[in-house]
Amino acid sequence: LDQPVEMKTQQDLHVATPVRESLALTKLAGTSIYLKLDSSQPTGSFKIRGLGHLCKTAKRGYERFVCCSGGNAGMAAAYSARKLGVPATIIVPNVTPNITVEKMRDEGATVIIHGKLAFVYKGKATHLWRSSKELEHDLKEKPGAIVLSVGGGGLLNGVVEGLRRANWADVPVVAMETMGAHSLHAAMEAGEHVTLPAITSVATTLGVAKVSAQTMKLSQEHPILSEVVTDQEAVKAVERFVDDEKILVEPACGAALAAVYSGIITRLRDERKLPQHLGPVVIVVCGGNNISLEQLDKLKKQLGII
Amino acid sequence: MAEVFHLKTPLLESINMSKRVGTTVYLKMENAQPSGSFKIRGIGHLCQQLARHSKGVICSSGGNAGMAAAYAAQKMGVPATIIVPSSTPPLVVQRLHDQGATVRIAGKVWDDANTEALKLAETEGLTYVPPFDHPLLWEGHASMIAEVTASLGPSVKPGAVVVSVGGGGLLCGVIQGLKDVGWTDVPIVAMETVGAHCFNAAIKAGKLVTLDDITSEAKCLGAKTACKQAFDYSQSSELTIISELVTDQQALHAIQTFLDEERVLVEMACGAALAAVYSGVIVRLQNEGRLPALMGPLLMIVCGGSTINMEQLTNLKHKLQS
Repeated sequence: LDQPVEMKTQQDLHVATPVRESLALTKLAGTSIYLKLDSSQPTGSFKIRGLGHLCKTAKRGYERFVCCSGGNAGMAAAYSARKLGVPATIIVPNVTPNITVEKMRDEGATVIIHGKLAFVYKGKATHLWRSSKELEHDLKEKPGAIVLSVGGGGLLNGVVEGLRRANWADVPVVAMETMGAHSLHAAMEAGEHVTLPAITSVATTLGVAKVSAQTMKLSQEHPILSEVVTDQEAVKAVERFVDDEKILVEPACGAALAAVYSGIITRLRDERKLPQHLGPVVIVVCGGNNISLEQLDKLKKQLGII
Repeated sequence: MAEVFHLKTPLLESINMSKRVGTTVYLKMENAQPSGSFKIRGIGHLCQQLARHSKGVICSSGGNAGMAAAYAAQKMGVPATIIVPSSTPPLVVQRLHDQGATVRIAGKVWDDANTEALKLAETEGLTYVPPFDHPLLWEGHASMIAEVTASLGPSVKPGAVVVSVGGGGLLCGVIQGLKDVGWTDVPIVAMETVGAHCFNAAIKAGKLVTLDDITSEAKCLGAKTACKQAFDYSQSSELTIISELVTDQQALHAIQTFLDEERVLVEMACGAALAAVYSGVIVRLQNEGRLPALMGPLLMIVCGGSTINMEQLTNLKHKLQS
């Protein structure tokens, strides 16, 4: 490690994304639903926020970025590396679709396909989530709840940090998972930091068997409502969302959208777990790269939805 | 200070489009706007200026201008009436209702609906919101170019801008925006579909002309006559406007490709612009020497549009691909 690589850009690697009301989802839920459109991030998911920040603030003297991820984190890392002018190596499991590998190579990254890897996920709590500032600006009033998907918990960790910084520490988080990738729910039910025996959900990008320690900690400190939907509900939500909002997202994101499409917000209000007089509910549309119409069709057939 | 109704939208690099064109392609994601298209910029601005103490607004629209007008009116607490032609899909009418507007159907194409809207504006004392032909609209739309300069940073200038042209409102707004930032030397590729090509027809005729009918499936491009300002710009030696046409099939192919590659569903009208890349128009223009071979980044305005859903997409496939 001789010469430090000169970082190419001082600008943020992520973009400020719109928060807009969803007519269709508001109508369905009977309460105001807003969408945080992180599907419109470079590389298609919110991951660029945390990973972009991490890569930018990486200590000088590093010659190369290395990331283990066959999914959105890998894409975000590859993109960040290109923008910063730093070489990148992405190590992906052999189940990674060819098209994803190609996309990473298009970003200039070296991609190594490495058999069936067990990834150790470190949900970095240092993800600075400036989107809370964006929320404050675009929303103009305090949210009634934030709805998001939970894989390893990185997004949740970042959102709670953002809420605390905005003095919105009492805003509940509705943490959505799919059955078979419900590491947070399992841990909260058990009252301890358990590991799922296997990931059986099609929402593979939620597929972290043990949620991050930080998320576990926050589940005891912050109002978090943990809810689980089936794969069918998540995929149906993806389908309806394309019609309603013209955006195609992964089933992992569908899990969050199912909070409205499967009536969970309504139920939580009926159960008084969310107040009747609810401020705007913001769904984080985390996005995701690994989806196409063809893949959606395959999933529907696989899940018996067609 | 008057509230602004539009949002700053992301400017995203499209690797897939960049590969096709051989230069970086940036997408200005106007589909992310409230009401689903760039229209809220100009219409929001116009409503703020003209409709604040109004009895109500009235707008003639095949969909997106109506959605934007209904949205702005609702934000301002003012009633909205939207006149739509009979070619408007029921889902659009429903959406307009959901946005709190009163909807009336008049005529077959936009021009008919517009005549009705103008009449009602007078007889009922409502504020008429033109969908594309007004300087306040262009002033409002121009904000997207200022945003692009902020996103690109000081040392990056587009090699060309690609827009769809219906009545020419977006075109005029983009030109206004380019003027505001001193980028009048940036060529504009103005895309239309065959059968909704009023701008191209006017350029070919050397004067504003009125199409007999709109025969394209890109209904939201369906103005029979372009606005005068758009035509005047096309004649100006100060600007480089390249008017190109694609078929409905090419526009459809473009929206399918965009959905698969960028995961966003847009209308046929938007597909016309996207087809400039997907159907090789940009590359052809470069080969013909009308655009430079080594070009700065291409700025693609993804105008958006909400008069589309999966059922509509299937219908279009059946109609156009048999």
